[in-house]
Amino acid sequence: MKRIIIATAGIAVGALALAGCSSGGNSSGDGVAEDGSLTLTLSGWSVDTTPEFQLLADAYHEKNPDVTVEITDYDPTDYNTLVTADLAAGKGPDIITQKEVKYVTTFQEGGQLLDVSDVELPEGIGGVESYEVDGTAYAVPYRQDSWVLYYNQALFDQAGVDYPDGSWTWDDYDAAAEELTSALDGAKGTFQHSWQSTLQGFANSQNDADILAGDYGYMKPYYERVLALQDDGAQESFNTVTANQLTYQGEFGTQKAAMLPMGSWFVATLIAQQSAGEADDFEWGIAPIPQLDDSTTGTDATPVTFGDPTGFGINANINEDKVDAAKDFLAFAASEEAATDLAEIGITPALLTDPVVEAYFAVEGSPQDELSSFAVQTHETRPENPTSNKTAAVQNILNDMHSAILSESQGVDDAISEAEERVANEVGLD
Amino acid sequence: MTSTATPQRASRRRSRLRTRNTLLGWSFILPNFLGFATLTLVPVIVLFYMSLTNWNIFGSSQFIGFDNFVRLASDGSFRTAFVNTIYYSVLHIPLTIIVSLGLALLLNNKIRGVAFFRTAAFFPYITSIVAIALVWNLLFSPDYGPINEILRFFGISNPPGWLTSADWSMPAVVIISTWKDMGYYMVLFLAALQTVPRELHEAARMDGANVFQRFTNVTLPSLRPTMFFVTVMLTINSLKIFDLILVLTDGGPGQSTTVISQFIYRKGFEENDFGYASAASVVLFFLCIIVTIVQFAWNQRKSAR
Repeated sequence: MKRIIIATAGIAVGALALAGCSSGGNSSGDGVAEDGSLTLTLSGWSVDTTPEFQLLADAYHEKNPDVTVEITDYDPTDYNTLVTADLAAGKGPDIITQKEVKYVTTFQEGGQLLDVSDVELPEGIGGVESYEVDGTAYAVPYRQDSWVLYYNQALFDQAGVDYPDGSWTWDDYDAAAEELTSALDGAKGTFQHSWQSTLQGFANSQNDADILAGDYGYMKPYYERVLALQDDGAQESFNTVTANQLTYQGEFGTQKAAMLPMGSWFVATLIAQQSAGEADDFEWGIAPIPQLDDSTTGTDATPVTFGDPTGFGINANINEDKVDAAKDFLAFAASEEAATDLAEIGITPALLTDPVVEAYFAVEGSPQDELSSFAVQTHETRPENPTSNKTAAVQNILNDMHSAILSESQGVDDAISEAEERVANEVGLD
Repeated sequence: MTSTATPQRASRRRSRLRTRNTLLGWSFILPNFLGFATLTLVPVIVLFYMSLTNWNIFGSSQFIGFDNFVRLASDGSFRTAFVNTIYYSVLHIPLTIIVSLGLALLLNNKIRGVAFFRTAAFFPYITSIVAIALVWNLLFSPDYGPINEILRFFGISNPPGWLTSADWSMPAVVIISTWKDMGYYMVLFLAALQTVPRELHEAARMDGANVFQRFTNVTLPSLRPTMFFVTVMLTINSLKIFDLILVLTDGGPGQSTTVISQFIYRKGFEENDFGYASAASVVLFFLCIIVTIVQFAWNQRKSAR
């Protein structure tokens, strides 16, 4: 009998411990103190190396001492999965940072995002349409990277090739890459990273194409171009990039490639790496990304490129008393004041007014030429991905197509028609 | 009075004893069972239900019957993943058995440094998969990798592209996973080899059996229980291969190494189609169960003989 009592007591203790595990934690309803001060929680990632969250939180708190913004740090690679899990469990943060646009519809359709259409935004801010579903805004952009062309002035000088001048189409870019490769000893003309965006992003934006339409013939010239460049040795092949896990920071930073099409986030990285000695010390500049044809080239035109914004949405289950403060924070993050703060640490804000761009290029180590500031400020940045619940599935199929073509496992035409068939059969067309 | 009360009391005591023993037995397995139930049993049951819904993680889900399974049947990607999984298993299972058994036979001899070689063969099994993927990607690199350098040295002018070629990526994955797994199965075979009765070998030798005959007629039959265990474990592990492929090739190039587990991962965690992903998991679950049942039945028939 005694043993049974002991065993039962043991089980009871175990069960209590289990029950204890499941009942802890804060819901998003907390954070309102009796004196009226508020605490907003905000989801971020790699807070140590991504200073923008803390910067915005501190700047906002300074203006509004009653409101404290606390950052919940998530792992960057599993960010969307982890935030999704927290939201599904009803324990998500008040402000949800939208790291990738393709997840916006998942959150929105799941009823996790508050309508933020009434948040006032400054004129000219980019990336707003990426957060709109049927005309209703579900997040506010504060940052918008767009893709530009980085070039190493020292290698261009060494090869005797003219710098890009903003008039380039892809043909000019190809010619320069070939010329640089043959003139330089050991370095390649350009480096194209293995991501599908580094090719499909340009094809989509410059053809104003909709990947949900299920027709990808317009990508063919882009693939043929890149295949020719890798066959000629003017850029490292896709297979070498993936097998040897080459990084774009390493290839451009250590002068193994003279050009690099990349997002504007690389500006801050390159400056930091040069000052830390991780990258070689050389002069570099930024040019608009080469264009499909000359209708959008030249510094009196607006070059077309792509890029997705990063923005803040509000948890639909937020405590009602905190909604106004959260919306006010969103408006602040999109404002010129916040944009200037962000630009000062090398981040490309969604709002690019003259003072913001000035702050952006005031960072020590950044390029000072006119074309660089033109490239950063002037562009028509189309969204990389449409905001739809089909985007993720279509992207996966296009990624398979991308690796099949560039690894030269499959011909361009075959791979494209296979992808078109898969999208029609597995995802369905609108 | 006493004559009727005694048997009654005895039977009551017996039944109390039985209850007590039953309760005690349950209490012993309860802690473990609680863990199993909350972490495995209930999620599996929920999975079966989820496979019949269109759940996308948030909010409520709709019961849609067998629609997900009908969709799976006509999904070209799932078919590709299914075929790739079978292709991987058919190459990986026999190759791993042969290599690990060969290693075990070799390291069962009294040779110098045997402990070192046994440890060395076991090392890949405990090495991080990400590290394995990094190093093997470099080794298999088509242009600069040492493996193709060696092949070129031996006069093969056009060596395969390995992980970067749709035709060679799966064989390359099989080579790497065999290299990784062989140590573990070698240890199992080594343990089993210790139990082969020495007298049988001696008797066979007296009868004039050569090494090969002794291997097929004495060693192999004695290893049958271990061989059965190894085959079952290898089959299940091969059918649910995931992590290695995810970090090595991410299913590419194209769809050449996309397997069922990765299909599930993509549909569930990348596309948030959890109902559909659950249906694919149920298919994988039954695939494992059916193959295992067939193996058990086959083993039982063999044992009966």
